[in-house]
Amino acid sequence: MSRNTPVLGNVLRGVGWFGLALLLITMFLSDFLAHAPAGAEFPGIELSAPSEVHPFGTDMLGRDVLSETLHGLAETGRLAMWAAFFAIVLGGLFGAVAARLPRPLALALRGLFGILGAIPPLLLAIVIVGLTGHFFVAVAAGIGAAPLGFVRAFDRVDLHSPHADYAIATGIPGLSLLQRDLTYDFRHVLGAVVARALAAVTIIVSTASFLGFGAEPPARDLGLIIAAAKINHFTAWWTAIFPGLALILFILCARLAAGLEEGESA
Amino acid sequence: MTESGPLLELAGVSLMRGGETILDRVSFRLAAGEKLVVLGEAGAGKDALLRILGGFTAHNDTISGTIRYAGGPPVAASSRHRAALRVAYLPNPLSRPLAPGSVLKQLTRVVARKLRAPFGSAREDLRLALEQLPGGVTLAMLDTTPENLDPLTQALGLLACACAQTPDLLLAHTAVADLGPRAVKLLLEALDAAQKRLGFALIFATGGLQPAARLGGRVLVLRGGRVVEEGSAERLMSGHAHAYTRRLFEALPKLKTGVPKPRGAVRGQPLLQVHNLAFGGESAGRDGLTFELRRGASLALVGEPGSGREALMRLVVGFEPAPKGCILFDAVDLNVLSPVMAARIRRRIAFITGRDDTLDPRMTLYDTVDEPLRAHLNLSSELVAGYRDTALKRVGLASHDGKRRVATLSAFDKRRLQVARAIVGAPLLVVIDEALSGLDAHAQAILREVLVDFRTNQDPTFLVVTSDFTIAQALAEDAMVFEAGKLVERGSIAHLVHAPKHDATKALIEAVTLPSLDLSPGSASD
Repeated sequence: MSRNTPVLGNVLRGVGWFGLALLLITMFLSDFLAHAPAGAEFPGIELSAPSEVHPFGTDMLGRDVLSETLHGLAETGRLAMWAAFFAIVLGGLFGAVAARLPRPLALALRGLFGILGAIPPLLLAIVIVGLTGHFFVAVAAGIGAAPLGFVRAFDRVDLHSPHADYAIATGIPGLSLLQRDLTYDFRHVLGAVVARALAAVTIIVSTASFLGFGAEPPARDLGLIIAAAKINHFTAWWTAIFPGLALILFILCARLAAGLEEGESA
Repeated sequence: MTESGPLLELAGVSLMRGGETILDRVSFRLAAGEKLVVLGEAGAGKDALLRILGGFTAHNDTISGTIRYAGGPPVAASSRHRAALRVAYLPNPLSRPLAPGSVLKQLTRVVARKLRAPFGSAREDLRLALEQLPGGVTLAMLDTTPENLDPLTQALGLLACACAQTPDLLLAHTAVADLGPRAVKLLLEALDAAQKRLGFALIFATGGLQPAARLGGRVLVLRGGRVVEEGSAERLMSGHAHAYTRRLFEALPKLKTGVPKPRGAVRGQPLLQVHNLAFGGESAGRDGLTFELRRGASLALVGEPGSGREALMRLVVGFEPAPKGCILFDAVDLNVLSPVMAARIRRRIAFITGRDDTLDPRMTLYDTVDEPLRAHLNLSSELVAGYRDTALKRVGLASHDGKRRVATLSAFDKRRLQVARAIVGAPLLVVIDEALSGLDAHAQAILREVLVDFRTNQDPTFLVVTSDFTIAQALAEDAMVFEAGKLVERGSIAHLVHAPKHDATKALIEAVTLPSLDLSPGSASD
């Protein structure tokens, strides 16, 4: 989209970043914005529909859904940011560095990450959570999303460009060439990479939580809130819809900020 | 074609692009069979003029003025109507004018389309045209992709294609630039002969002065889109010309063929020692090449492209491992060192090449010059900025925006930036590989002066790779002449130029000796 209509693409990207910024502020201020602390129950008003007192209604334990959604959004955002950090460092950055390692080692790493990249990220994250525990869900989601970033960053590094040959022939170390890549290539795509990674790992983290492999109670992220609302979904729609919309909004803003390009090529 | 009046008559032709005047009220007449050399620096408007005449202007170009074709009524210059004139185009083979397919098929297709003739007939016309040209190029030789053809063969194929079209007007756009002096001489002589034989009018746009000197005829000097001067090549070269034209012709390098003066021996420590080095594949003799280059000395590897000079340079600086023999840089064999240790020694080597991809196009102007300093030395930002500014000032880039990307610089600026990068590195050895190629005469003259200044001030050892003896003479004292992968002659350039022994040396010298320049008093020898 952005290739064909750069103006529209830039506008959408701007909208995405603006939305992400607003959500980020909401996450930081969730304790102030929420009516009730995380997990606070109000006996006697279980599954009450949206009203003036509880705009998003209450869930089966009488918890305010608005407050829970805000706290869940903060938890999801926290996990997603850590996971995105691991994904970018272990994937993109390590891929770019690995390409400049001694060739046999570089190719061995490329092969290993290529194999890992063939595994669906969610399954990889679930396996890692199973091995390490709930505490490492952000790391697991980051590792799950990393292989694809590694392969793309690795393949992007041009080891045989004439200017690199001439630089090496005049004693410029490989570290300086890596610095060139980081300064001139990755700096320009960093925003898109962060946004795209954020979108990808949010899906992994939330799905893992939904399946019971993510956030560990009492901490509840949006995935876990939606999972808990499964039982009442058809009788009390508000218990799942509002957390679901918050999750969609977060992922949509991240995708818009990344440029909405298919294939996550950044 | 109407026989009365000139073949072409331009009246006040202008071209505006994006609010910028590219061509400003250009007027001239061209008779049938006449030669016109359009001379100017990069951006002078040559390209725009040929585009208007060829009818391939850009969509956003605003063109005004009129053109009369073959005595017909004046038509708007913006019109793509070309009357009954048959116009052929001769591009430079280095500008990659051909698609990756068979050269023969592409050239035949052009001839067939222009003559509206069957493919077989066009092929026969092309064969006959090739037979008229020197070089012995055949149709079978052209039946391959452009990548498999050397530039001279491609250029002869393109010239044959133009001749086979039996044009009324041939538009040649920097058609021989950077092809090497011998190839340039051969092509210009072939073009001159073809023009006389077929009687077509020729407009030859060039930034170099060789075509003006060799083709003769009328010269139209363009500057900033305006006609500075118009006159015969002989008159303009004789010094009776506009100051700008005179400056252009003064920039034409002249070979000093006088009696060599005795010179003192270079007494510096050996910097580059080459022992028994085999190069050039099978053509290399049983005994390898042995030579020594001392600190502060200079050596030119002279020869046509593919003669072996480039292969030797690549071996000497370690781009490729030497199959046999030993190369010592500053008494150290770089091939036995670890990459880290080799990098420490390699930092004293600098490259200035004619290739635009030597510099990282992503980097900014400042970062490009700073990198050698930051990579090898622990200097404060103020010191780095000081060295950088001094270097940029010496090459004439001080007024440029330091945050501009290399990709946005002109070829001339990129070359000067390479010199600035070399200057800050304080190298012991500077490899200058066809650094002046692709530049117009004025830019060549400036870059030559910058390089001479670099050598005078910092006294590095120069290893010059070139096919042009005038460049070799300007930048080096000694030379090795190569032909077909072999070293054929070596010695001081002054002696080689004064009394060449090998035919290859004689041919290279003859290629850059312009007889018509002798009209200028004092242009010979010193």
